[in-house]
Amino acid sequence: MKVSKRILGAAIGALLMGSVPAMADTIKIGIIGPFSGPFALQGKNFQAGVEAYMALNGKSVKGHDIEVIYRDLPAANPAQSRALAQELVVKEKVQYLGGVYFTPDAMAITPLLKQANTPLVIFNAATSAIMTQSPLVVRTSFTTAQTTSPLGKIATERGVKKVISAVSDYGPGVDAEAAFKKAFEAAGGQVVEAIRMPLNTTDFSPIMQRVRDSGAEAVFAFLPSGPTTLGFVKAYNETGLKQAGIKFFAPGDLTQESDLPALGDGAVGLLTTFHYAVSHDSPENKKFVEAATKAIGGADQLSFPSVGAYDGMHVIYKMIEATDGKQDAQKAVDAVKGLSWTSPRGPVSIDAETRHITENIYLREVVKGPDGKTLNKEIQTFPNQKDPGLATQ
Amino acid sequence: MQVIAHTERVAAPSSAGNRWLRDAIGVSLIVAAGLAGYWLFPDNLALLTRVIAVALLVLSIDLITGYCGVATLGQAALFGAGAYAAGIACVSGVTEPLTLITIGAVAGSAAGLLMGTIMLRAHGLAQLVLSIAIVQLFHEAANKASAYTGGSDGLAGLMVSPLFGVFEFDLWGQTAYLFGLALLVVVFVVLKFIVSSPFGMLCRGIKQDPIRIRAMGSFVFPVLLKMFVISGAVAGMGGALAAISTQVVGLDSVSFELSANALVMLVLGGLGTLYGALVGTVIFMGFEHIVSAINPFHWMTMVGALLIAVVIAAPGGLSGVLEKVSGSGKRVKTGGRA
Amino acid sequence: MQTVLSIAIDAFAYGMALFIICIGLSLTMGLMRVVNLAHGAFAMIAGYIASYAARDLGLGYAMAIFLAIIGTVIISIPLERLLFRRIYGRPELTQVLMTIGITFCVIGITNYFFGPTLKTIPLPGSLSQPVDVGFKTIAAHRLFVMACGVIVAGGLWYLIERTDFGIKLRATVDNAAMADALGVRTQVVYAVSFAIAIGLAALGGVVGAEFLPIEPYYALRYMVTFLVVVSVGGAGSIPGAVVACLLLGAVDTTGRYLMPEFGNFFFYAAVIAIVCVFPRGFFGRAQ
Repeated sequence: MKVSKRILGAAIGALLMGSVPAMADTIKIGIIGPFSGPFALQGKNFQAGVEAYMALNGKSVKGHDIEVIYRDLPAANPAQSRALAQELVVKEKVQYLGGVYFTPDAMAITPLLKQANTPLVIFNAATSAIMTQSPLVVRTSFTTAQTTSPLGKIATERGVKKVISAVSDYGPGVDAEAAFKKAFEAAGGQVVEAIRMPLNTTDFSPIMQRVRDSGAEAVFAFLPSGPTTLGFVKAYNETGLKQAGIKFFAPGDLTQESDLPALGDGAVGLLTTFHYAVSHDSPENKKFVEAATKAIGGADQLSFPSVGAYDGMHVIYKMIEATDGKQDAQKAVDAVKGLSWTSPRGPVSIDAETRHITENIYLREVVKGPDGKTLNKEIQTFPNQKDPGLATQ
Repeated sequence: MQVIAHTERVAAPSSAGNRWLRDAIGVSLIVAAGLAGYWLFPDNLALLTRVIAVALLVLSIDLITGYCGVATLGQAALFGAGAYAAGIACVSGVTEPLTLITIGAVAGSAAGLLMGTIMLRAHGLAQLVLSIAIVQLFHEAANKASAYTGGSDGLAGLMVSPLFGVFEFDLWGQTAYLFGLALLVVVFVVLKFIVSSPFGMLCRGIKQDPIRIRAMGSFVFPVLLKMFVISGAVAGMGGALAAISTQVVGLDSVSFELSANALVMLVLGGLGTLYGALVGTVIFMGFEHIVSAINPFHWMTMVGALLIAVVIAAPGGLSGVLEKVSGSGKRVKTGGRA
Repeated sequence: MQTVLSIAIDAFAYGMALFIICIGLSLTMGLMRVVNLAHGAFAMIAGYIASYAARDLGLGYAMAIFLAIIGTVIISIPLERLLFRRIYGRPELTQVLMTIGITFCVIGITNYFFGPTLKTIPLPGSLSQPVDVGFKTIAAHRLFVMACGVIVAGGLWYLIERTDFGIKLRATVDNAAMADALGVRTQVVYAVSFAIAIGLAALGGVVGAEFLPIEPYYALRYMVTFLVVVSVGGAGSIPGAVVACLLLGAVDTTGRYLMPEFGNFFFYAAVIAIVCVFPRGFFGRAQ
């Protein structure tokens, strides 16, 4: 299967390259992600981001060869996450842990970082509280609070005063609801109702009915990317809410590029805020998209987890440089505090206090591109956003 | 409608001494296997500890399904009850590991009592459906009560104090594993006593023919309920062990998937022998670990194929196959349905 | 009042989608006494075939449905021959395990061939418009599902109550041995019923794809719902299945409207309550 071939390739590459200079050692990086199951595409994106970075920046840092080991964690399973992390540290002796798609999985790993003397670079898990669990965690993705907060102003700027919020009833969903409420009310709006939907809801008509009955002018939604999002957006269109003029605001998880083909034309016009759009126009992004598309095998499978992985690898490479290949987690993390660079998504930096990434958040609209396919087009930029969820701590 | 395959062991009318010897050998084999695991796989102890926790869950299912004939797809409710009880206690300050296991056992038995009361009202398929509904309800409750349980984020940061004040639960998991192994052996021995006691015999009689048992003058419901409570205690201990060793409790400990997987493990190993539960768990989880690492996509297909194969070729599970092959003197009775 | 009606319509649509899928399972369990947990897998296979036909081959919706039903029934024939025949008459646990095994295999294979992403079945333009029925705007597709459900219920009723085949079916359900002795070809009855059940599952999988999206875990994800609905309604009973689907659909939809964060809670609490009061389901037959 692809995974073992890559490991084999990286290992052989490392071996071959190691046989030339006299003193080359191999530094192992353990990446935990969903490589099978319903979120397999996100794991694939992780891998694509990692491979794109290594293709563009080489497979060694300062003479140390890099070996990436992937471990599959198909769903949010804290116990399995910890077991995998433990295995990577104890058995595979990795120096760096990376990846992690779901929050509970990250939370389960944080307690062992100190003892393992390994930093964790999170490529996705988006809840603010993770950073407070351990001083050895760095995140290169986003938090729902971070991507959602600009929506507060955006909504009021478009003359919306009353919004009903509908989120999935789990960690990131609750975060999103809180962040939006705070930002929207600070901008003078009113959240008339806050609905929390069970994660496995597939029939959203009753929710849409409630949206109508609430008299709100817009709906703010957050659901995990995947089948549920599709159902929600479809219900929004089909129950006539769109026609009735009720606007739709959401963070970009709902219109991620790999879901857009399934959403079809019904998604056109949706406004979302996010940290990354594949269509972002910059030379760094062009290079990245080219390399990542090659790694993932298809342009319409590329989505935001890949850029989180790409930048995560950048951070890890910088850590290896700073520690010169020695395993010293605190030194590594200290070295990247305040690090700033230009990512495919735009200018970014690692906040020295929270170790979370500061980045631009963009307002995007789903439009039809010249080739007939829908894409997220950035129409407004909110520069240098930190994570509001952490800012108060 | 009988729910369970009629493959079961009838205790050979050998002397009690013979039985003691056999069980003693069995237990020492378990201990030996456990220690072998400790020396052979020193880097995988976390996985092995999880195997032990799940083995306790599967043992608890064997008690109800293998010995009492009540099929259940909701046992994870009891496992999860124990795990969350231990987790919440730990987060609230109770960190002594043995106390936590006890708390898990108590929570599990309380849940078992509740579950038994509801489930035993129905029969056959309705009973199975009730077990599913109960575990889903527990799942929803755990998700909703996120203030206590952490909801879908899980309950993290369980700091368990060292065992006996000396042995720390560290990253390499040695304490956790040996602790779990000791727990498993103790529980196993106790269960062996229970199932060979008159109470255990009564349960097996109920599985075979409840009407006749009633005619004999025994009450079916209290006996089965008692077994549910015992089973709940075992499952709860497994959950508490999982919580202690992984220091995290997630919603997956109270999920339908875990119940279904555990039942599959039991069937694989063979119902009604207690050894089958252990064999099935080790093989299934070992398999899963190896295959998922190589090729996660095909894991499900393999499990499915394995299940089909077991149903077609080896209805008594692996221990049934072992029995036939070794011919160890126990009579294997296979009944059929008209 | 408008809200009540509106919820009622939603519940009816959802209930009908469930009904079309579950009635086949009810028949299998009631007639052939097979706990077929792979029923959802067949619905899923049909969804995939329809999606492939409509999306990749560009055929129309009706054609996609037709192909899906035929294709799924064809796939089910060897499965029935080789695997299902072995579990007739076996204890329930055995059937549960075998059919779970089949479900796992189907999921793994589908995952391998089609990948883990969701597959949509593109609807024809006429069905994707919102329709204004006065007090509510509803997706046209939902009306279609409701119509299908009513037709299926009516058609099955007619088949079972008014045709020759129906008489033979009922006789075989009541007493297979006797029916056999009287010259009813029970093997044929079983085979045809199985085909009908699978065909209905296929139809339900395709038209219900808007409610229950098609992805590899479909078979497992909704298996519990199907099983629960059939048990509540009583296996083998059409009125039971209708009542159960509508009732559970109503409980679910109303619960989601009034208190969405408790969503599933009401559903399962209702199931427990009903099964406790009616241990064999609403219209289940005493075994």
